[in-house]
Amino acid sequence: MTPDRDDDALAAEYVMGLLDAEARARVERRIATDAGFARAVETWQSRFAEFDQTAEDVAPAVDLWPRIESSLAKETPPVTPTMQAPAVGLLGRLWRSLAALRIATMGSALAAVLLAIVAVMALQHAQQVAARKPIYVAILIDDATRQAGAVVNAFADGRVEMIPLVDMNVPDGRALQVWTLWNREIGPRSVGLLSRATAIQLDLEKLPGTTADQLFEITLEPAGGSPTGRPTGPILYKGTTARTL
Amino acid sequence: MTILPASHDDSNRSSAAEAEISAAIVRCAGGDRVAPRLIYDREAARMVGVAMRILRRKDLAEEATHEAFVRIWHGAQSFDPTRGAARAWLFAIVRNRALTILRNEQRYDTEAINENTELDPASAISKLPESSALRRCLQQLDAGRRKAIVLAYVHGFSHGELAGRLGMPLGTVKSWLRRGLRSLQECMG
Repeated sequence: MTPDRDDDALAAEYVMGLLDAEARARVERRIATDAGFARAVETWQSRFAEFDQTAEDVAPAVDLWPRIESSLAKETPPVTPTMQAPAVGLLGRLWRSLAALRIATMGSALAAVLLAIVAVMALQHAQQVAARKPIYVAILIDDATRQAGAVVNAFADGRVEMIPLVDMNVPDGRALQVWTLWNREIGPRSVGLLSRATAIQLDLEKLPGTTADQLFEITLEPAGGSPTGRPTGPILYKGTTARTL
Repeated sequence: MTILPASHDDSNRSSAAEAEISAAIVRCAGGDRVAPRLIYDREAARMVGVAMRILRRKDLAEEATHEAFVRIWHGAQSFDPTRGAARAWLFAIVRNRALTILRNEQRYDTEAINENTELDPASAISKLPESSALRRCLQQLDAGRRKAIVLAYVHGFSHGELAGRLGMPLGTVKSWLRRGLRSLQECMG
């Protein structure tokens, strides 16, 4: 069997929904970076698309549109087509948070100046990251909005840090808990607990060295951490490590 | 002679819907805040219906639809109207959200599903248009594979769940299905 045939079968399995959560995440990363593979996925989508039209119409609850509308009102117009490259994602995120401050309503000249400042900030951040050279980086994304929420950097000396990119809303009596999963059989391990989004050193000393494709996620848990030692709350952000160049 | 004009009408209606959705997605990409509502009015009930077949809970199906609209808004720029398939693009997003909710074990409480809902794989196939290539090609597969493909695409079954339901080892299910998918691909071109 040639690799192409395998890829095609993988694309079909993804479109059909046969893959488990981890395999789905892997395939989605591949779609973002491999145009040929993305086309194979699209082709399978169009092959099966007729099935969608065999579903019964189910009238949504009357409050569904108001809910969607209020979510969309918080979103700025789509300024970046994709968030594939971390640099673009960071820029897009900064631009979006500035836009939230209604910068967009100012004069276009001022907006252009601010955009330039944002670009410089993004570049400086990228340079700082490059100077310290983590060997693995994970961008933790909100699955629903595709917004980047935090970066995890793993260094050659075993240090692992997490830097939030957005202010996460933590209700009273709750905490943010950071988990990593490197072995499905052992399951996720808690590596950090925070009362609010802030940069922290993660505690991975007792765990095997960080590797590629290791999952990191942030969940919302009761203050003091999950009572079960396993994630119990909703996943706010998640992502897997990739080796830096 | 009565079938032909009817299916002609159907395809006209469907291509008008396709063009309308395609235009609305393009307007989303341009930041037009009215455009999502046009998509909603036209497709929301079908979107919830597609998500319902996978999640079997209306609240979750609505959540998948809600999330899909946020995705559509942000992803609209990646949609290429010249390649057509606006509704395929739209429903791929809904199914993606529904499958993510389904596979997210932490949030999906399987006990809350209405287990009385019997899944009927044959019904999805019988609702495909007579002229459908998908229908014709699925009918060339053996019944077991045909059923497995519907359970996966329409109801969100994973390899593991199919293996459990069919009483086959996971690896066997994977290779058995891959052969079926290859035949389907060759038949559909």
